[in-house]
Amino acid sequence: MLRYLLGRFWQSLVLLLLVSVIGFAVLNLAPGGPLSQFTLTPGMTQADLDRIATQMGLNRPLPVQYLDWLGHLLRGDWGRSFRDGRPVLDIIWGHLLATLLLMGVSTAIAIFVGTCVGVLGALKRYSIFDYAATVGAMVALSIPTFWFGLIAIYIFSLRLRWLPAGNMYTIGDGSLGDYAIHLIMPSIVLALVNIAVWSRYMRTATLDVINQDFVRTARAKGLRPRRVLIRHILGNALLPMITLLGLQLPTILGGALVTETVFTWPGMGRLFLDSLGYSDYPVVMGLLMMSAVLVLVGNLAADLAVAFVDPRIRLS
Amino acid sequence: MSQSELLVPARSTQPWWRSRTVRRFARHRLAMFGLAMIIVLVLACVIGPFLLPFDDLYIDLRGRFSPPFTGYHFFGTDPLGRDIAARLLMAGRISLLVGFAAMLLSIVFGTVLGIVAGFFGGRIGTVLMRFVDAMLSFPNIFLLLAMAAFIKPSPTMITLIIAATSWMEIARIVEAEVRSLRERDFVVAARMLGLSNSHIMFRELLPNAIGPIIVAATLTVARAILLEAYVSFLGYGIQPPLPSWGNMLNGAQQYLDSAPWLAIVPGAAITLAVTSFNFVGDGLRDALDARSDLL
Amino acid sequence: MSNQSSSTIFRPTRRQTLGMAIASAAGLAMPNLTGAGKALAATPPSGPKGQVIVGFSQEPTVFNPHLVHIEVDEGIHFSVFDPLFGVDPKGNFFPALAKEVPTVENGGISADGLEWHVKLRDDVKWHDGKPFTAEDVKFTLELLVDPKFLSWRRAGHELVQDLTVVSPTEISWKMKEPYAPYPSILAATFIVPKHVLGAAEDKNTAPFNNAPIGTGPFKWVERTAGDHIELAANTDYFGDGPYLERLIYKYIPDLTVLYTQFKTGDIDVIGLQWITADHYEEAKRLSGTSVAVIPAATVESLSFNMERPQFKELAVRQALYYALDKQTIIDALYYGLPTPTETYMPQQSFYYNPDLPKQEYDLDKAKKLLDDAGWVPGSDGIRVKDGVRLSFKNSTTAGNHIREQAQQFIQQSYRDVGVEVEISNLPPAVMWGDYWVKSEFDSVVVGINFLTGSDPDTSDYLGSKSTPAKGGAGQNTWQYASPEVDKLLESGGVEFEPEKRKQAYLKIQETVRNDLPFLPMFQYATVRGHKSGVEGVVPNINVRIDSWDVATWYWS
Repeated sequence: MLRYLLGRFWQSLVLLLLVSVIGFAVLNLAPGGPLSQFTLTPGMTQADLDRIATQMGLNRPLPVQYLDWLGHLLRGDWGRSFRDGRPVLDIIWGHLLATLLLMGVSTAIAIFVGTCVGVLGALKRYSIFDYAATVGAMVALSIPTFWFGLIAIYIFSLRLRWLPAGNMYTIGDGSLGDYAIHLIMPSIVLALVNIAVWSRYMRTATLDVINQDFVRTARAKGLRPRRVLIRHILGNALLPMITLLGLQLPTILGGALVTETVFTWPGMGRLFLDSLGYSDYPVVMGLLMMSAVLVLVGNLAADLAVAFVDPRIRLS
Repeated sequence: MSQSELLVPARSTQPWWRSRTVRRFARHRLAMFGLAMIIVLVLACVIGPFLLPFDDLYIDLRGRFSPPFTGYHFFGTDPLGRDIAARLLMAGRISLLVGFAAMLLSIVFGTVLGIVAGFFGGRIGTVLMRFVDAMLSFPNIFLLLAMAAFIKPSPTMITLIIAATSWMEIARIVEAEVRSLRERDFVVAARMLGLSNSHIMFRELLPNAIGPIIVAATLTVARAILLEAYVSFLGYGIQPPLPSWGNMLNGAQQYLDSAPWLAIVPGAAITLAVTSFNFVGDGLRDALDARSDLL
Repeated sequence: MSNQSSSTIFRPTRRQTLGMAIASAAGLAMPNLTGAGKALAATPPSGPKGQVIVGFSQEPTVFNPHLVHIEVDEGIHFSVFDPLFGVDPKGNFFPALAKEVPTVENGGISADGLEWHVKLRDDVKWHDGKPFTAEDVKFTLELLVDPKFLSWRRAGHELVQDLTVVSPTEISWKMKEPYAPYPSILAATFIVPKHVLGAAEDKNTAPFNNAPIGTGPFKWVERTAGDHIELAANTDYFGDGPYLERLIYKYIPDLTVLYTQFKTGDIDVIGLQWITADHYEEAKRLSGTSVAVIPAATVESLSFNMERPQFKELAVRQALYYALDKQTIIDALYYGLPTPTETYMPQQSFYYNPDLPKQEYDLDKAKKLLDDAGWVPGSDGIRVKDGVRLSFKNSTTAGNHIREQAQQFIQQSYRDVGVEVEISNLPPAVMWGDYWVKSEFDSVVVGINFLTGSDPDTSDYLGSKSTPAKGGAGQNTWQYASPEVDKLLESGGVEFEPEKRKQAYLKIQETVRNDLPFLPMFQYATVRGHKSGVEGVVPNINVRIDSWDVATWYWS
């Protein structure tokens, strides 16, 4: 077990190193740079821009800049934002919670609704409900998340005026209810795709379990259908779900980014876009690394959880 | 994987269009619907612009923000008074083309990498697949935007960067497939016959992995269209005056209250196209999956 | 330069520099957005009362006013810090930390403009209770040229030498050479505390930068990154105000949402980037709010890279000016808010030249000019001369919707006179990098504020030695070179008599209008608004941000 964990750890480190090289190359080989935003400031001159670039170390060769960045990272220093000089980790931390809140609530919704739809669909296979759920899932997978968000804003904020069009809370309020109201639209919009994914997997997983011997046996023994459903089917079908959750993490994170831009949600996605707009490389690099870490940890946690739930699986 | 066994005899005994796979696909109602929609969309985008009385680039500032069904403006006009229907069809050409081209590129790259990694295995395979893992471990939208933000956006560049962030899953699928085939009799036989590695990889292994590749291809088109739409929506993608479904939505949020059709029309087109591709992909998967006969 | 003429710059007249002709510029101003309205309105409360929420569409993140920053950051700087003296909407200087604005009369400045002697207030305390002294001023001016410090701007400060603290309330220095714009620069230089920032080892990353301590009307409370900044009244403030208990700067990254929040009353004052032009009609009918059109100093132009073979000939630039339908762009795309202009100088400026020839939109004249100059249409309808096709790229920031629309409209009208425009927009980080600075573009649609504060000096933009592509250090990216303009800029930069100085700048504007290195389109106007009860919100074209007078805002 320990050996397995160590192995995974080393693998992850190599992965992260690769991620950082790719990210750094993409960001820095492109023209322009973080000082462009100051160009049109009244009174800004090329002399000032050159001086500032030198002071910020932007004129050094790329490999030097990369190693410098990496060296600091290894010592736990994620660098400082070009924009406000604050430590990158502080900045990301401030936005991470908002994103995790959105992802958490939305994933909870997705799992609950997806499981219900998937299991029902499997139990009543080839019924109208099953067919509608299948088609619905395909369509849900196809709707652009940002467009769905726009339409939701149009209907529920602009026309019906039921829900706020954006932000995480009202300034000066910030009560739980206020957060909840602001969460409704973005979390459902983000959940839509995942409901589709979950319900499809759940349907397949439930079908697999239904056809296995022990369920037939349980039924034959005369156990009540609901008991069979909950104990055996859900218990067994949820297992692959955990792995799926781990695998879905990048997608959910990417979806959160998209959703955040439409609903002006103050999370990592918006931070990412803002930082890109300003070419704030340290923050962008930090976000890329952070999301990669999240994904790796998510995958590992999923594997461990599966091993923990099902003793038959031996980690090796 | 069972489809390879199904495919090998299928290739040898009867023409492909009469194979069980094709018949199963034809029975898949959603897939047939999707295929029909794709054909209609492509035809509309190719022929449609010639039938409409408006040019997609003609600016008429007096007629800006006309709601749908104003005169012959069936879908209304945009902030510059251009006909949305005309732009929608021209945009379709761009968006579909970008989707297809990005898919082809990712398929070629992903397949080659997957086959090489799967066939050689060992150190080469590990290095290549770790690279795939690295690329997969950030949300591809992050990577896509990071690239798009610093590149002069043109349809070609957008296609390239979408492909650059979409090939990894195909590589994984192909690698897994090839790894499972590697020790099969026909590969071992080919080795003993002294056939070259590239012959084995692309003449023997590739045809046997073609099923999952085709499925992945369809789904990749769908995803590429979505990615283009999102990047252009944010203003980093295809640049005006060239229309794309995504950049037609760019700025639509600003006019959501006063001119909602600016948002509704292109979004509906994207959804329709993507749904169709996903239907076809789903149908193909079922058709290629032997289990669907058993269940 | 005679001794006498050099003195008057420091005796500002009412007409000097920029005047805020709000009513004449737009004719739409609400009385309570102007200074005049303030006098008529209710009187401020006796102590700080209530809170005001200001919405910004960008996030203020740099709180040390001397670090590299963007304009929205100055909203915080004006609330927390004070300069020695400030500049009001009419362009007049008013004393802040200085006891009086240094002039030759009061002995603050020597007759040749080289020796400065500033008297400071003795009743000012930093937010932490320590007294403000001349040491702080010395520290600030030295910090600005500290080679290790990521200084925002050095122009002018580099000329300061022999900084001497005469007493805690007096400071003096010498200028290396006469520099007429320096008062304007000082009016935008906030004084920072030596006892706090001076103690920091690395001033670029000092804790002060994220929890600033100033002398201003409001004290720093806290920042919720990505969301808002909270300030509280400084009850020990030496000046007028503050009359608000709390001041909140809320960051709302989307202009539509910003406006929606203004409409629903979630924000009290709509700040930087303000109300988009398309919402103006609706906004001015809102009840319970005051909305007005306020001119900005930024001038929109179609700028040429004059080293490109297409643009070398004056006739081409003139023809392109004739083919530019300014008025339609203003009326249809910008909702009629901006004012057409013929120069880079804001029309509110004392130095504005109102007598420049007015542009006409006339496609026939454009065609004739090109025909006469020998540019004849080729087989594809695009004009050619000596193997050069009259075809060029036009760029701007991708994502600036209205400007992109204007660009496409221009593209269509130029096609009608046989000129091909290829639109090639770039992300902001690329657009305003080397592409713009090193003149790698063909043509650009750009909005530029040519002035620093209220001073008319534009050598960095128009001087032939200011082209970075030719090794210059300014921002003359048009690569415009006119010996006449060079000479006038030089004389204007050391001329201290406003009336004489004005002659130089009038002539410069005339020359630039004739040479057309850029086609001036219009001077921007912004739609600003606040809740009806908020008093004292006065726009000021000489600063970059709304909250310059936040000390005197109050609820009626």
